[in-house]
Amino acid sequence: MRSLFIVLGIITAVLALILAVTPLSQIAYIPAVAALIFGFVAFYISKRTQMPRKTVQLIFILTIISLVLTIYKSIFNTAEVGNMEELELKKEASMEDSKEILEGLEIDEMDLDSSESDALEIEELPDLEDLEEQ
Amino acid sequence: MKHILLVSIFIYGAMVLGQNNTIAVGEKLTFTAAYNMSGLMTEIAQVTMETGQVKTSNATLLHLKCTAATYTKWDGFFKIRDLYESYVSPTSLTPYLYKRDINEGNYYKFMQYTFSHKTNSVKSLMRKKNSKGETIDKTTSVKINAGTKDIVTTIYHIRNLDIHKATPGEVQNFKVIFDNEEMVISVKYVSKETINTAIGKKECYKLALSLKNKDILKGGTNDNLLYLTADANKIPVYAKFKIPVGNGELKIKSATGLKN
Repeated sequence: MRSLFIVLGIITAVLALILAVTPLSQIAYIPAVAALIFGFVAFYISKRTQMPRKTVQLIFILTIISLVLTIYKSIFNTAEVGNMEELELKKEASMEDSKEILEGLEIDEMDLDSSESDALEIEELPDLEDLEEQ
Repeated sequence: MKHILLVSIFIYGAMVLGQNNTIAVGEKLTFTAAYNMSGLMTEIAQVTMETGQVKTSNATLLHLKCTAATYTKWDGFFKIRDLYESYVSPTSLTPYLYKRDINEGNYYKFMQYTFSHKTNSVKSLMRKKNSKGETIDKTTSVKINAGTKDIVTTIYHIRNLDIHKATPGEVQNFKVIFDNEEMVISVKYVSKETINTAIGKKECYKLALSLKNKDILKGGTNDNLLYLTADANKIPVYAKFKIPVGNGELKIKSATGLKN
């Protein structure tokens, strides 16, 4: 029985440690808590039967390291987006390419700029004024 | 004369109804995307939704941009750099050009749709990389129904709906073209709900999304939800989804350049 809890404790403690160093550190809490439970049970049995407790101590050490690492990561590691240069360059290139494509597309009359016709009207006005002055 | 008057009223009505009162040029919404890993919601990527303006020689269009990028800690495992773009009418949000550039790990895919609303068709360009790393282009013409939009425009179009006029339980369908296939997205107005977000406590319209005859969005009516703020901006503050490979959520981080 003691050996079973020690084996389970070591497996879960190692798993917690592995998960703690990966980006999945949040999940490390689950095997870490399980390792602590198995460790305490193994410790209790070892104490009662007066058996060596060295392996149980190893479970606790591994679990504590994984928990410290996980807690540290959850407090100090902020979620940041990495290198976005590539995406920014892609955005710019895509926009230039899109402009060319859009030039060749049929745009609904409703969306066409009326600025061109306005500009023409503005240009015509001074001429009319000139004529009136003359 | 009577007919002309009727037609004029109809056109005016359509223009007023199809007006964009929600989306402003220069709007930027930032989200955090989380994925359920062994029961724990793990933040994996940042999603942004931006709007801009693009001027061509004869028109000014609205440029809708959506990007998805994994956080630094995930880049070593599975790097995602996705770009979704749509060029739409600034008033009616009718799409003219759609681009989708996907970079996920070693997977690359590019899709481009040029919409022809007169012929109700889409000219599609698909670019993929083969095992040797060479790019292969494939162009096809896809027939679409009137009013079919791309996925990016549909999201913005949902925001532009007059949800305040809807009654709980009301369903509206939207035709969307995705991967050269036309599909129907059903949007059901569930109720109003107040939720806590990074931009404050907001009263929201709770919408349930589902795809007709498709298995992409799994689960019942409570698995694929979209929360839009119950104000004039209708900001998507929270979304949760269930797909065949798991479930996740999107939470708003910041919202700038809003119209109202």
